[in-house]
Amino acid sequence: MNGELQALLDACIDAVIIIDHRGCIITFNRAAVRMFGYEAAQVIGQNVSMLMPAPDRDQHDQYVARYLQSGTARVIGTGREVTALRSDGSRFPASLAIGRIDGHSPPHFVGFLHDLSGRRAQEAQRVSAELAVREARERLTHVARLSTMGEMTTGLAHEINQPLTAITMYAQAAERMAMQPSPDLGDLVEALRQISAQALRAGEIIRRLRDMVRNRQVREELLDLNAVVRELAVLVESDARNNNVQLKIDLAATLPPVLGDSIQLQQVMLNLVRNAIDAVQSPACERLVTLRTSHTGTAVEMSVSDLGPGIDPAIRDRLFEAFATTKPTGTGLGLAISRSIVEAHGGRLNWRANQPCGSCFVFTLPAVNGVST
Amino acid sequence: MKSHPPSVYIVDDDEAVRGSLRFLIRSVGLPAQVYTSAQEFLAAYDRRDPGCLLLDVRMPGMSGLDLQQELNRRGATIPVVFITGHGDVPMAVEAMQQGAFDFLQKPFRDQDLLDRVQRALARDAESRARLAARAEIRTRLATLTPREKEVMELITRGKANKVVGAELGVSQRTVEIHRAHVMEKMHASSLAELVRMVLDSEESKQNP
Repeated sequence: MNGELQALLDACIDAVIIIDHRGCIITFNRAAVRMFGYEAAQVIGQNVSMLMPAPDRDQHDQYVARYLQSGTARVIGTGREVTALRSDGSRFPASLAIGRIDGHSPPHFVGFLHDLSGRRAQEAQRVSAELAVREARERLTHVARLSTMGEMTTGLAHEINQPLTAITMYAQAAERMAMQPSPDLGDLVEALRQISAQALRAGEIIRRLRDMVRNRQVREELLDLNAVVRELAVLVESDARNNNVQLKIDLAATLPPVLGDSIQLQQVMLNLVRNAIDAVQSPACERLVTLRTSHTGTAVEMSVSDLGPGIDPAIRDRLFEAFATTKPTGTGLGLAISRSIVEAHGGRLNWRANQPCGSCFVFTLPAVNGVST
Repeated sequence: MKSHPPSVYIVDDDEAVRGSLRFLIRSVGLPAQVYTSAQEFLAAYDRRDPGCLLLDVRMPGMSGLDLQQELNRRGATIPVVFITGHGDVPMAVEAMQQGAFDFLQKPFRDQDLLDRVQRALARDAESRARLAARAEIRTRLATLTPREKEVMELITRGKANKVVGAELGVSQRTVEIHRAHVMEKMHASSLAELVRMVLDSEESKQNP
């Protein structure tokens, strides 16, 4: 081989390996030395299959022989991804292009190998970064739910204490009455009735609380959105009352079912209602928040509207972005998570101006027609 | 002075709690009035009505603490027993600093509530009796003539009739007559009693 050609080969970034018709290495350029970890002298004259892991290693001679017999190329001129074997036994991905060198009989072959391990690593990095983002989002969803829970726990603890207090007092007063010489049975029956009603009330609050805290798998089922709203109303009623806000529930007479996770959808509604309650705290606002459901033929709609000051035009565009918040203690996650939940349900969550003032957040979900809940 | 029997006033926004409190209070034979909000109570309550107030700290709109401040501003002396929830201890502390009679954490034992109610009612009766006595003393003081007042002032500072006569430029005999009128009009059986009445009425001027 003349010096010019050798210089050319050694300047190549890719490995260039020339073999004869038996597969014996004739030329092994500098890039090949770097890539495989062999000196040229160690491989020249050896079969090229030493650079391949099994099963290619054992079949390479046959590939060459078949080509020489049939003239049918499998890889020549097309290139493909292969796995190559370094001198230390480690493997790396590479793209291989093979050319036939005429002028010899039988012909020689030249292989160009491009190391793909860098590209693979980048790709793996990208995939793992995506996974990490997804995991982070899932964690955030849970954290956001727990922090909403945290805010609500004080209210709910108070709420559970109410029926417990009433039960305690009715029971103790009833006991006191029953010890008297001629107790009033009407009063005793009234006390017992109140006790069972209040015990049920406490149980209902605890059931809702448990459902909310559990970080469970998404469970899709056919839902009547009206029922979901009614259950939510039980949850937020005390919150509204403590903030001196009136909740108006305006439900469509009937709704086609939607497919979804009721707890997640309630989390969305809870977020919207809490935002609305916050929005009407300004002194001039009418303290009314309306929850409404309706439907078109193909979609079911749920909206939460308030008569607050509305959304500053400057931040309307970023309303649903994570960490965009106007509240001094807000995380800026509520609407972002709400929108991702609604979108995961195949729906949309949007803001529009409410009439005559304030905000209206609306989400729509595809209606499931032809079945009933 | 009109006199209702003392009543337990219950202000709580939760219907069940309100109902059970009334039930319990009535089960021991005490009259109970219930109100759903602080505003409703303020509109209905006459501070001359004796009794005690059972007040939920946490209520929408005007809170229990707000109501207590308003009552203080209006000079109402009704003892307030606060009912607080689990996490409301800081509020309870604030209520006590503002002069609440006592507080109870929900849920509580009926006997604890009834004991506090009885003590609050006793306190109310006591303070009303003291106020009534002070008012009576002020009524009596108003019947004294200017000269009798001068004489009373000097003798309650421990001055002898002779000294009083000299200071006022009248005879000892005249002082003795004024003094007899003062004792009679003030219903005082001794100088010590008169002194106590005067001190009490002066104190009540400072802390009505």
